[in-house]
Amino acid sequence: MLSRILCDGCSLIGAALFAIVSSASVSADTITGKVHRIQEVTVSSRRSPIKVSSAIPLQTLSGADMSQLGIQNMADAVRRFAGVNVRDYGGIGGLKTVSVRNMGAAHTAVSYDGAPVSNCQAGQIDIGRFSLDNVAMLSLAVGQNDDMLQAAKLYASAAVLGIRTERPVFDDGRSSAFRLMVKGGSFGYVSPSFRWWWKLSDRVATSVDGNFLRADGNYPFKLVNGKYVTTERRNNSAIDSWHGEANMYYSLPEGGELQVKGYYFYSKRGLPGAITLYNPVSTETLWDKNAFIQARYTRRFSRKWELQAQGKYNYGWNRDREFGPQFTGGEYNAVHKQNEYYLSATGLYRPLPELTVAFAQDGIINTLWSTMIDCPYPDRYTSLSALSVRWQRRLFSVTGTLVGTYITEKVKEGERPDDIKRLSPSLSVNVQPWSDEMLFFRAMYKSTFRTPSFNDLYYFRLGNRTLRPEKADEFDVGVTWSRSLFPAMDYMSVTLDGFYNDVTDKIVAFPTTYAWRMINFGKVHVTGMDVTLATALSFARGLKLILSGAYTWQRAVDLTDREAKTYKDLLPYTPVHSGNASGVVETPWVNVGYSVVAVGKRYYMAENIPVNEIAGYAEHTLTLSREFDLRKCHLKLQGEIVNLTDCQYDVIKYYPMPGRSWRLTGTFTF
Amino acid sequence: MRIRSFLLGAVCMFGLGTMMVSCSDDDNNGLDDGGSKVELPDSRVYILNEGSQAANNAGISLYDPENGDMIDDIFYRQNDSRLGDTGQSMIRYNGSIYVAVYGSNYIAKLNAACVQEKRTSFISDPDLQGGVRYIAAEDGYIYASFYGGIVAKIDAATLEVKAKLKGLGANLEGMTICDDNLYVANSYEIVFNPATSKNDYVYKKEVKVVDLKNFSLKETLTVVQNPNKLVEEDDNVFLISWDYSDESYVLQRIEPKNNNKVSKIGYATDMAAGDDVIYLVDSRTDWSTRTTTNTFCYYDIKAGSLVSTSFLKDAPAELTSKSIYMMSVDDESGDIYIGTTIWANGNGTMYRFTKDGRFVEKFDCGGQNPKAAVFFN
Repeated sequence: MLSRILCDGCSLIGAALFAIVSSASVSADTITGKVHRIQEVTVSSRRSPIKVSSAIPLQTLSGADMSQLGIQNMADAVRRFAGVNVRDYGGIGGLKTVSVRNMGAAHTAVSYDGAPVSNCQAGQIDIGRFSLDNVAMLSLAVGQNDDMLQAAKLYASAAVLGIRTERPVFDDGRSSAFRLMVKGGSFGYVSPSFRWWWKLSDRVATSVDGNFLRADGNYPFKLVNGKYVTTERRNNSAIDSWHGEANMYYSLPEGGELQVKGYYFYSKRGLPGAITLYNPVSTETLWDKNAFIQARYTRRFSRKWELQAQGKYNYGWNRDREFGPQFTGGEYNAVHKQNEYYLSATGLYRPLPELTVAFAQDGIINTLWSTMIDCPYPDRYTSLSALSVRWQRRLFSVTGTLVGTYITEKVKEGERPDDIKRLSPSLSVNVQPWSDEMLFFRAMYKSTFRTPSFNDLYYFRLGNRTLRPEKADEFDVGVTWSRSLFPAMDYMSVTLDGFYNDVTDKIVAFPTTYAWRMINFGKVHVTGMDVTLATALSFARGLKLILSGAYTWQRAVDLTDREAKTYKDLLPYTPVHSGNASGVVETPWVNVGYSVVAVGKRYYMAENIPVNEIAGYAEHTLTLSREFDLRKCHLKLQGEIVNLTDCQYDVIKYYPMPGRSWRLTGTFTF
Repeated sequence: MRIRSFLLGAVCMFGLGTMMVSCSDDDNNGLDDGGSKVELPDSRVYILNEGSQAANNAGISLYDPENGDMIDDIFYRQNDSRLGDTGQSMIRYNGSIYVAVYGSNYIAKLNAACVQEKRTSFISDPDLQGGVRYIAAEDGYIYASFYGGIVAKIDAATLEVKAKLKGLGANLEGMTICDDNLYVANSYEIVFNPATSKNDYVYKKEVKVVDLKNFSLKETLTVVQNPNKLVEEDDNVFLISWDYSDESYVLQRIEPKNNNKVSKIGYATDMAAGDDVIYLVDSRTDWSTRTTTNTFCYYDIKAGSLVSTSFLKDAPAELTSKSIYMMSVDDESGDIYIGTTIWANGNGTMYRFTKDGRFVEKFDCGGQNPKAAVFFN
């Protein structure tokens, strides 16, 4: 994966270090006996998107990377991480979920500025609703993240997709900064957005972001049905959405920081569903509202003690409407409301220079109100405790974590499920054999589980209140290496990881005659290998080249029933081969970005027979951008051609993806 | 001499005519095989595979009962296009095949070679957009039930919708015809309940009787809730209701000659009409062990009694625990076909038995969820 980071964080650290060194030099200056004030400088550096020193596979993608590569949305970004399988039901409004190393989407946690995002009803997060406009960094951590000052819920997940939004940065003593951006493109796509950063005082900064998005989404696609090859349109795909965020960052006088975020999202989108041969009628519409407020307090009391405390209230609402004579009154409506009350505290203590201990405690309450038939209005109470210990001495580190989970539920109708009490261990080891060589060997084991969703437990006739958690054991062994081979090379980073996942008690819909029910029945083994590579080269006259790539080989097989036709067959939608490559050429005149995402053949049904095959695909994207400095203003113009070769493909069978499309973006910063 | 010559000539002409008929591409033992791209056996069992919803993988397979040969998805081979989404029902009528495809929402008329001759789509008719379910035929018309409570009367030759009978209920399912009356199941509807702010499944307890002479509602019968499948045999109508209230599938008998008297006679998840008999299977799942047990029995129409003895003599052991998705009987031979499903996990399997219950063979259905079968002998 190609990446270029003009790293704001590095810049700040560099500037800070420079200031410290400068002040030290001032007191020691015996040459003139005068105080010399050196102008503040900003140190810019490129950082590899691959963190080679991490004990677990950790990949990142910065906002700048995503912009340069013409990445369209969150799903488009995430599918560029090695080992990720994004289920994309097509179009801007289509459901998009993330499965890491084929453990299933419910095993992937999503954090938004450090606070977990949840959907207890569905059990998986639709990442399609997150805007990229204000995202500073995306990260994907497989297994136990190195960050010990995190919420217990993130400790408890098999993989964490981290979304970190931009923080205000004020240059030249300014107290405010604005950004206006307008995007337009194929299929009626228009998306204006704004950003306002305001420095209220030396200690308080605020940011406000907002964007609107609309698209007709009725892109053409080729439908092949034997002798009939027709060009159809993806009707009922229109979307309108609003997204707004307000942040306040307060540097407390006694040290530490308080960050408060308010978030609102609204969308109305047509749900075209799967393409049905001979029947294009589609009348389903989905409305979503999501609002949350979250606060995070972090403080480093001393070199030994650190604390993070978080609180969040989340409200989710959606309405599904469909028309048709099969519905009484010609219309069907379903409404669901979810509330989440979340508190988390994590303390970190370093009793010895080599030893770090962290303890995280989360308390969560989730509620569901729904028009769902027989909905028992469940309330779920969750306690998560994570104790993590790390021993780090010179070139060796080992981290062990134990997560304790207790879940109890109340229902207003019928039986309530049994309480869940589990301990989930994990262990990771990282070794750097030579101090002068950025070569690391790593190994990781993590035991996690996913809790049955409200739909798994209570869905009309299908739900089963006796479900147990679905267990996942992850194993990873890897080697990473990074260095600069010659002066023009900023870095070259390579990782190679082999992995094995064992998913048991998998929650599946189990059929019998005319009746289906969710049960713990499935068993899946995933064996695979990830390779990632990233390099950046800087030449004379401001010419830079950044290259990256990732390749994943994996076999996710069904071992549920020895007698079944599907025994040892690949799971649906799990390609053996997948990968991507990208390159960015930066010149003083124009920046050119190119990327390709490729996926091999898959099966869309459980039985691996030719009729169930879906062909592989490769999607190419080309981006051109140029920046203009207009005194204190800054204008960036960017043009993108997505799916350059007009490849017709489905990620999910009969949910066609768009063919060739274009997008223009104008960004005005002042 | 003249008479002898005439007779000889007549015999020769008959022989020549027979040869010509035999050699015609359009007729094979009296079957219309026009447009066929494949060589077809004299005896044919066409199997409708429902497929999986939203997968457009419905199809029709051909099984040769004489030698056990199979042609997967002969519909695609003959027509070079897919059958569509969710094959719902299939009947044979006047030497043609009529197939209703629910998701794609159309009815097609096929000849005996499975070559499509006519098709009528219902997607442009707001009344019929709920989707076609089951079909039955009588006196040159096809009758189709629809979600939305409508039965359409369709010309069997042109597939033109001649009339629609509305207001028969909510979502209609199975149909059968007996004595110029159409019996159609009014199964369920989803109703928003303001008192609870929930959508409720309201299971109907009605079988509508439609007088086909004037295509009007004649009578509404009260049956066990959620009526679904209907078959006719010996001037009796048999009904299975999917009574989810106690996870039972209730078998009922409707006696048209006895003022449409409805009586409950047992439990069955599927049935098929044989010669003076209704073959039955009752599938029960023990969720603690996740095992399904199938119990086979039959109803002796002449005797008017349910016989608990299995009508299968030497069925493979696995058939007792498979998910049975269809049963059908070849009227000519009396052979019994029992189709099992593994849902979207793979193709269904068909088990074939003789009329006296002897196991003949089992074979892959060539598609998922075998739903119906029609026979040409």
